[in-house]
Amino acid sequence: MITEPHKRIPARGLLAWRISGTIHSVFPFVLSGGAIAAAFLFNWPIWVIGASLMFYSAYAYLVIMTFPSLRWKRWRYEVRENEIELKHGMFIIKRTLVPMIRVQHVDTRQGPILRKYGLATVTISTAATVHEIPALDVGEAEELRFFISKLARAADDDV
Amino acid sequence: MMMSSPIRLHPISAVANFLKQLKELLVPFIIFVVFGSRGGNGEIVQLVLSLGVIIAVFIIGVLTWWRFTYRLEEGELRIEYGVLIRKKRYIPLERIQSLDLSEGLLQRPFGLVKMKVETAGSSGGGEAEAVLTAISKKDAAIIQQAFSAAKNNPSGVEATLQSREVIYKISPGELLLLASTSGGAGVVISAVFAFVFQFEEIIPYEKVFAGLEGFMANGIIFVSLLVFIVFLIAWLIALVGSMLKYANFTLVKSEKELIVTRGMLEKRQMTIPLNRIQAIQIRENLLRQPFGLATVYIESAGGSIEDNESARLMILPIVKKTRIAGLLKPHLSHYELQPGFFKAPKRALNRYLWRGFLWVLPFVAAPLLFFRPWGYLSLVLLLLSLGWSYFKYRDAGWDISSQQLALRYRGIVRTTVFMKRNRIQSLTISEGYFQKKRGLATIEAVAMSGVGGTGGTVPDLDRKEVYAIYKWYSYSVLNSNHSLQRKKRP
Repeated sequence: MITEPHKRIPARGLLAWRISGTIHSVFPFVLSGGAIAAAFLFNWPIWVIGASLMFYSAYAYLVIMTFPSLRWKRWRYEVRENEIELKHGMFIIKRTLVPMIRVQHVDTRQGPILRKYGLATVTISTAATVHEIPALDVGEAEELRFFISKLARAADDDV
Repeated sequence: MMMSSPIRLHPISAVANFLKQLKELLVPFIIFVVFGSRGGNGEIVQLVLSLGVIIAVFIIGVLTWWRFTYRLEEGELRIEYGVLIRKKRYIPLERIQSLDLSEGLLQRPFGLVKMKVETAGSSGGGEAEAVLTAISKKDAAIIQQAFSAAKNNPSGVEATLQSREVIYKISPGELLLLASTSGGAGVVISAVFAFVFQFEEIIPYEKVFAGLEGFMANGIIFVSLLVFIVFLIAWLIALVGSMLKYANFTLVKSEKELIVTRGMLEKRQMTIPLNRIQAIQIRENLLRQPFGLATVYIESAGGSIEDNESARLMILPIVKKTRIAGLLKPHLSHYELQPGFFKAPKRALNRYLWRGFLWVLPFVAAPLLFFRPWGYLSLVLLLLSLGWSYFKYRDAGWDISSQQLALRYRGIVRTTVFMKRNRIQSLTISEGYFQKKRGLATIEAVAMSGVGGTGGTVPDLDRKEVYAIYKWYSYSVLNSNHSLQRKKRP
């Protein structure tokens, strides 16, 4: 069997994902907060409050705790001389091979949260597909971009 | 090289520009006329405005033609254009993916052709193509020659005399078969519906139908007959449309290119260099599969965002499936078009059935619960879904022949994709929890087609086989000594 990719996302990436999960859970927070407020104001039945609280806590727990952990636990990548291999997925595990000679360009991207933690997203584009390593140390991402673009020199055949 | 000084297009292209602009203005124009001011001076104002717009559009059309020049210089097709902002586009000949020629109604009387230049889609998005609306056939031939020369001998050595060989020519019977099974009728019907609903606000349907109501009550038979006639007419329109479109379909191979010509009113010619082929697709739709008929497409890297269709070129419109390999083998010798297939294992059938079942469940359950007794009819849907899932299972398959991966799957149409290893852009395996338990996995391969990807996904194949494909694709030296165990189930 093929050797599995074994490089992991840095632990700071998990932290960054938890933060963006927290931001994501603002919308259901407002929603359930509104429902609870309405329940007090208009004398709605008591179970509305319970249901809203349950909904919000379940959502928040999944988005802040479970999903980022699972995602982080599963993410593996490896950049070899001839190809890039990615392995990820929370419930359905995907393994992808991208040959170096098919790579057209590599980008790094940084949102405010990733920047705070010194992380960056690396995007690898072929002629037909785009692949992403969601959080890497900035230095490593730069290095990787340089490494890949050095290896992925223009292929001799078309596209 | 000839044609190194700037050349204008034939003046008829000014008319073509004008008509194209008018066509785009048609809808706003109708809205303007219908909803514009009424009574008094309104109509005169409308008339003057309309005339003004038409004249302006005509002048723009002429100016566009006047400013547009093209020339061949230093191995590049150089185009300069633009009325207010002058633009230059230099396309290196060896970057051109394909040249499409067509003769429309405007070009035909003057013996002209329209030439579409396709470059690789991703490089410049929708902007990366050029259209020469009307040029003489002689000039088109010069550009084509320069293009072939640049492709075949980059060093500039004289191109050898091109040998041309007809691979396929459509027969009248095949044309009729093609047109009558094309499924274009659906398109016509939906276009009619779309058109009808567009004008809902203008035409008082309610009044029209109120008058008809009494009529309808009289006979369901009459209404059914009417519907049937509408469908028949739509089908006939589609039939004629397809026949005109695919009349005289010919596939020719020159030394290093495939050339397709087709069409009655508008003649089109499309050229794809053999070395630009990204994948080959065989599609069998529901009407054709029972007769063992199929359609063959070639995916190329040409095409742009606006016109992504040109990336997929139909090379055999309708042909007995068993003939495909024989027809194409001498010309596309790298492809093995009639391989045996490794099929999905028996234990995968359950998953296929479940997937189909879950899809239709809401549509079956709701009528069953709420609309009895008629709701029981929805069980038919369930049966259909089970049958369909079974066919999906039966058709799923893969094969590797030296440097080629073939994947077969069914959406509605049964599709077989053939991709060379060095044309596959990426390969992905996915495994869910339940798949893993049963030793199954899904394989997905993507090749390039125009600006997007093409390829295939086959769910629930044997896990070991899927990993064998993965290993076959891997470029790492570590994994390169792959030996595939070839055990095909009948």
